[in-house]
Amino acid sequence: MTAATKKGMDVEELSRYVLTELQKKGADDVVITSYGKSSLLVKFSNNLVNTTKTVDQAGLSVFISMDRKLVTTNIFDLTRNSADESIKKLISFVKSAEKNEDYNGIAEGKFRYQTKPEWYDPKVEKLGEKSIDYVKDAIDLSLREGAKRSAGVLESSSFNSYLLTSNGVENREKGTKLYLSIRSFTDKDASGHMVAVSRNLAGFNWRPAVMKAAEIARTSRKPVSCESGKYDVVFDYLPFANILGTVGSAASIFSVETGLSFLKGLQGKRVGSDAITFADDATLSNGLNSESCDGEGVPSQRNVIIDRGILKTYLHNTSTAKKYKVKTTANAGIIAPTAFNLVLEPGNLNKESMISSIKRGIYITNVWYTRFQNYATGDFSTIPRDGAFLIENGKIKHPLKDLRVSDNVLNILKSTEALTKERWQIFGWEVDTPTVTPMALVRNVNITRSEK
Amino acid sequence: MDKDLADFSIGYAQKLGASYAEARLDLHTTNAFMLKNGMPEISGFDRLSGIGIRFIVNKGLGFVSTNTLDKQRLKGLIEKAIASTKAAARFKENITLADDKAHRKTYELKQKVKFDNVDPEDKMRILMDADKAILATKVKVPGRYISLTDTQTEEYLVNTDGTSITGIVPKVSFFYYLTVQNGAQTMQRFWQKGNSGGFEYVKQWDIPKLLADEAKACQLNLTKGKKLTPGHYDVVCAPQVVGIMVHESGGHPYEADRIFGREAAQAGESFITPEMIGYQIGSPAVNIVDDPTVENSYGYYQFDNEGVKARRKHLVKDGKITELLHNRETAAAMQLPSNGSSRAVDYDKESIVRMSNTILLPGKYSEEELIKGVKKGVYIKNFMEWNIDDKRINQKYVGAEAYLIENGRLTTPVRNPAIEISTFNLWKAVDAVANNTEYHAGNCGKGEPMQAIPVWFGGPSMRLRGIMLK
Repeated sequence: MTAATKKGMDVEELSRYVLTELQKKGADDVVITSYGKSSLLVKFSNNLVNTTKTVDQAGLSVFISMDRKLVTTNIFDLTRNSADESIKKLISFVKSAEKNEDYNGIAEGKFRYQTKPEWYDPKVEKLGEKSIDYVKDAIDLSLREGAKRSAGVLESSSFNSYLLTSNGVENREKGTKLYLSIRSFTDKDASGHMVAVSRNLAGFNWRPAVMKAAEIARTSRKPVSCESGKYDVVFDYLPFANILGTVGSAASIFSVETGLSFLKGLQGKRVGSDAITFADDATLSNGLNSESCDGEGVPSQRNVIIDRGILKTYLHNTSTAKKYKVKTTANAGIIAPTAFNLVLEPGNLNKESMISSIKRGIYITNVWYTRFQNYATGDFSTIPRDGAFLIENGKIKHPLKDLRVSDNVLNILKSTEALTKERWQIFGWEVDTPTVTPMALVRNVNITRSEK
Repeated sequence: MDKDLADFSIGYAQKLGASYAEARLDLHTTNAFMLKNGMPEISGFDRLSGIGIRFIVNKGLGFVSTNTLDKQRLKGLIEKAIASTKAAARFKENITLADDKAHRKTYELKQKVKFDNVDPEDKMRILMDADKAILATKVKVPGRYISLTDTQTEEYLVNTDGTSITGIVPKVSFFYYLTVQNGAQTMQRFWQKGNSGGFEYVKQWDIPKLLADEAKACQLNLTKGKKLTPGHYDVVCAPQVVGIMVHESGGHPYEADRIFGREAAQAGESFITPEMIGYQIGSPAVNIVDDPTVENSYGYYQFDNEGVKARRKHLVKDGKITELLHNRETAAAMQLPSNGSSRAVDYDKESIVRMSNTILLPGKYSEEELIKGVKKGVYIKNFMEWNIDDKRINQKYVGAEAYLIENGRLTTPVRNPAIEISTFNLWKAVDAVANNTEYHAGNCGKGEPMQAIPVWFGGPSMRLRGIMLK
């Protein structure tokens, strides 16, 4: 990021200035992240572009600790005057704050960082209006594949960031991202949804996403209401990513401490079937959220959260790791450790072989509105949307509607019998941590429905 | 606020060929405090300003935003954005906005107790006192997450139709998440309080009592609660439950942009069609309004983000669908004037059709009378899990604090009674509405990128006859 501020400082200089001033005024730990982002989002529905959105953002986020009192702020007006005001207020705020006795500091630098070339693609940064061609091509392809109308977004973005801490960390990062979400309809009750995400144009496989959404829409016409009961379920990529996202969130030690985790107290214990090997991987090759370091500058790493069904670790930053006498997993968030890219290891089946193994079941292609009755137990429900299909005697029988998965996340993980070899990277509205997942065959899932 | 920059922006967009332009200049000043299990986790403050410009060029809609409030940079961004919108011309939606008269107004909602006059230390102390109140109940509450946020938003909206609005609205909100434990069993509750106005509302909420009562109610439910035998029951839903029902199935389906498919990809569509005005969706006891003009409400505004004057909208009257929520675009599609329902959560988001304060209007009964009229049923005071499908038909609400009603009286606590019902059957089952209206705060999600916007939802208690409980 090189944009000059009004006083002639660039943001790196401004970051260094803020760090120095805060240290002079007595701050113990300081973490400064400056960032800039440019994006073009094309929103479409009914096969037409609704709007194009050009977004330009820049800012400086600042965390300080003083005598274990923690304060954070963001500076959006990147001028020296604004920085001085924020410094003054930070010091005033921190002096009146209460101590966080659980706080144990930030990582000690310096570190060496590795970035992967596929995380930044100058072609994406320069894509501009050409992204509109992708939208046109996607809509045209969906029509050729039998969809009547499609809606969604395509966002292309580029970002850069500069991390500086009082413990010797300094790191520059830049990257690009592409995100296509398309939902195609053939009727009011017949739709299919898929996404394509990538850090670069070469990895942007949008055509299979468009074709899959259209295929689901084409085959899900005239659904009939589903009966309540236990079913074997094949979860496609979108719905399984949605469920896995809750596992990633539950793995954060912050969730564990606040009662928002069904993984509490289960480290070293079985939380899933042997088929479940689940990791957070900030170094993932084309991972949408891959970065070279975490929010306090610890070099990124891959952490196996669940190994063949056994919970191995929670996600930590330096401070929480010290509290629990473990090593950081490089997942800062300084307050709440957070996953970067969730990855479920693949199995060796395909969708067809899974379906053929089911006597009475349901194939679910998407869910939404996942909500918990109790995060501590994992009791939840989520609503299938888009195509859902009854399976009888190993074959798809007909489309379904009006159903709900009402079960428990740990039950789902433990009842996961098989996974596909093929995987898909999912990101979107409810899957806000990018998740690479296979499809899953889960036995005996509780399905409910509205009753008069 | 550099209002000249907003004025310049719409002029510059016009110069580049825009037939319409509007600019929103926002300044948010926020303070936030978080306490986790009695430990002051972190405090924070932000001062965020930025500008968002929406324009129509070649009948296509475009939007551009930045928080770098520099004229030269803004010029470049507007040029780039207009070029992008023109590039989409070959397959764009033709935008027509319903006519609206020009408004020029400045309004400010005053803070009786100003945010700045309460020390950060005292704000954190409120949370710590609330935590102590929980511990004083002697109930085992191992998970206690509570937060307090105050925000003042100053917004300047100007458009090429001659509208110029400056609004200053402060908001304060409080959120909690509790996990209550009894042996191996746990029960959770979350909820939020929110008002537009000053810090005076924090005192009115009586947070320590609120949290202590929640802890005790959960403990009672855990120790004495019985699982219900599934079957048909008369159900009295208290205002908190009514509020979420109204929001999900009495508010969202009435958003006209859903009905026209604009939010189809994520937020979804609606079972309602424009032809359903006059359709009997519920019993005659059901009256639902959305009203942004309620002073000090969490969803308060006087003018929406298209500069249209806010007013109360009667979505359901005597059980019949009477009005939808519109912005200027959806209103034009139905040849109506906009009813002022267009909002954006921030300068960098486009304004879309949103609810404000959506409530079931009160009836003539007291809650006690509703309960007295039930021989065998369930009273559901509040809930945890809920969801609804993306056409807003099939919904589920699982009670948290709930009690059996036997011969007109509340008796045994009931564990997790689940209502899973269609919108049609829900509202047709309402036979009586009480007069104990409550307003509850939430942040409603819609749009892509997601915009979580402050709203109230609520109403009085209502009685449902003979619905299935699981």
